[in-house]
Amino acid sequence: MNMGRLLSDVYWVFWREMKRFFLQRSRLVMAVVQPVVWLVLMGNSMSGLTRNPIAARMLGTGNYLDFMVPGVMIMTALFGGVFGGTSVLWDRRLGFLNKMLTAPIYRAAIPLGKLLSLMVQSWFQVIIIVVIAVILGVHFVTGLPGVLFMLLLASLFGVIMGGISLSLASMLKSIEALHAIMNFLTLPLMFTSNAMFPTRAMPVWLRRIADVNPLSYAVAPMRTVAMKGWIWQDLWVGLVALTFLAAVSTAVAIRQFHRSIA
Amino acid sequence: MSAMIEAEGLTKTFPGGVTAVDGVTFTVEEGEIFGFLGPNGAGKSTTIAMLTTLMKPTGGNARVAGMSIIRQAYQVRLAIGYVSQDLAVDDNLTGYENLRLQAGFYHIPRAEVERRITEVLEMVELSDRANDLVETYSGGMRKRLDIACGLIHRPRLLFLDEPTLGLDIQTRREIWQYIQHLRDDIKMTIFLTTHYMDEADALCDRIAIIDYGRIKVMDTPSRLKSTLGDELVEFRFATGTEEEIAAAVETIRRQGFVTDVREAGERGYVAVVTNGETAIPRIFDAIAGMPAHIGAITHKRPSLDDVFLHYTGHEMRENGGSRDEAMRSRMIMRRARG
Ligand SMILES: Nc1ncnc2c1ncn2[C@@H]1O[C@H](COP(=O)(O)OP(=O)(O)OP(=O)(O)O)[C@@H](O)[C@H]1O
Ligand SMILES: [Mg+2]
Repeated sequence: MNMGRLLSDVYWVFWREMKRFFLQRSRLVMAVVQPVVWLVLMGNSMSGLTRNPIAARMLGTGNYLDFMVPGVMIMTALFGGVFGGTSVLWDRRLGFLNKMLTAPIYRAAIPLGKLLSLMVQSWFQVIIIVVIAVILGVHFVTGLPGVLFMLLLASLFGVIMGGISLSLASMLKSIEALHAIMNFLTLPLMFTSNAMFPTRAMPVWLRRIADVNPLSYAVAPMRTVAMKGWIWQDLWVGLVALTFLAAVSTAVAIRQFHRSIA
Repeated sequence: MSAMIEAEGLTKTFPGGVTAVDGVTFTVEEGEIFGFLGPNGAGKSTTIAMLTTLMKPTGGNARVAGMSIIRQAYQVRLAIGYVSQDLAVDDNLTGYENLRLQAGFYHIPRAEVERRITEVLEMVELSDRANDLVETYSGGMRKRLDIACGLIHRPRLLFLDEPTLGLDIQTRREIWQYIQHLRDDIKMTIFLTTHYMDEADALCDRIAIIDYGRIKVMDTPSRLKSTLGDELVEFRFATGTEEEIAAAVETIRRQGFVTDVREAGERGYVAVVTNGETAIPRIFDAIAGMPAHIGAITHKRPSLDDVFLHYTGHEMRENGGSRDEAMRSRMIMRRARG
């Protein structure tokens, strides 16, 4: 394998995805509007909670928004990721996939370039959320390095979901079926995690699920960094778990792509 | 001259059981324009998919530019250009960006890229629209851009799958000119598919007529036409029951100047004759007084249409269908592809 060529192939797939990302105004607008709606609506409707001292202790903060921001970041990465497989299926339907497959590029570059673009797109979205959060008065205790750490975790999570989506896309070959499955996955994944509610407030059975939900693995360390500081014994588990899952998900996506499409 | 494509018993049976290409054997020489002529569903695109390494054959093999499509797929990809029938240009990019992307995929050295892009843009006459989004292009402009994409790496062999499908006469002529220019001035070998008779006739040095996955006949267009005899008389009965018409046809068939009579549509027949000018009055004389009457009659030289009819036993139009229908079924098919 020629590393330079592989990187070049990945770069061009990535380049195309990014061009398309920036061109699709509606997607960009949604990237801004969605977190604003989440933060403002949820932040306001839940703010009553924090007046209750027990709830405030469970949340670990007197400001629900502080609690909410990492959850919104992950949900944005989640939504970006789950529909990541769609682009392969559109390429297939429009014949662009065949164009790439007759070119002398590494097959793996197609899923890799698409996943990389999902990663970078989630960075943009997280940065937008950070800006909105700061405007709404949220304070990140670890400052810029903490924000970069959150960026990394959110994008790793995006890659995990993107890899699953790409694998399913390669197998199902139908945009409609992919959307149905991914929609079916998203909400349960969200509500059985610590993204919006502290696990301490959950019934035991739900807490068990929340504790193994990969979404929680991403949110917990982000919250620690955003609200408490660099407490490494709380951070490394999430970081290692997400890195590992992202690698596995990428590998599976490449394999499925090879098997089913190329 | 050496062979650019050597296909040996190439076969593709899909998992569902459809044999789209059934033991196809042919050779395309370097510098040749070779055409696959056949109706919708004949197996043209499937043949191209195998030759361009998009699909593995389920039987047989082929060498493209001297390399095996099965074991040397990567080398084959380096040597060929492919313009699919799908208009596979990216709407969200400009024309220039589409070409830049293609140049990236083909690892064209940075120093060369601009020159190549300018060159192909000029050839397809899109230089002035290069920086507009493809979204704003007409169908013909998209097709020209797609062809330009297939040329950016100067392939030795170019595959064109129905290059003029759905385009107007003017644009079709332009595209024919590009194709001829590529062969004449750059010595490129071209494999194209079409279901337009005039296209095969105007462009191809040799054509293979393909129907239900099999090659029915393969030769130069002019030799194919001359095998049908030199002249044809086409006629259609205006009156007469089936038996009366059959009797009249039998009488015509027995005439000395008639070598063959074939059916051609409802109440229509084509007679292969030795002397066209006098054939028409003599046919009328032969069946004078019989109950079946001829309503229309014309004398013509054989066209590829007639060749097609002769070798496949049916007219091309029969399973033609409109372009929209073809597009729709293609969409559905691609969705279902397993
Ligand atoms: N992936 C597939 N799975 C199953 N059947 C297929 C597949 N692709 C093509 N076919 C079938 O193979 C046959 C040949 O299709 P092909 O696309 O090669 O025809 P074609 O000659 O290119 O026709 P057209 O002029 O419509 O493009 C058709 O009957 C088609 O339904
Ligand atoms: Mg076709």
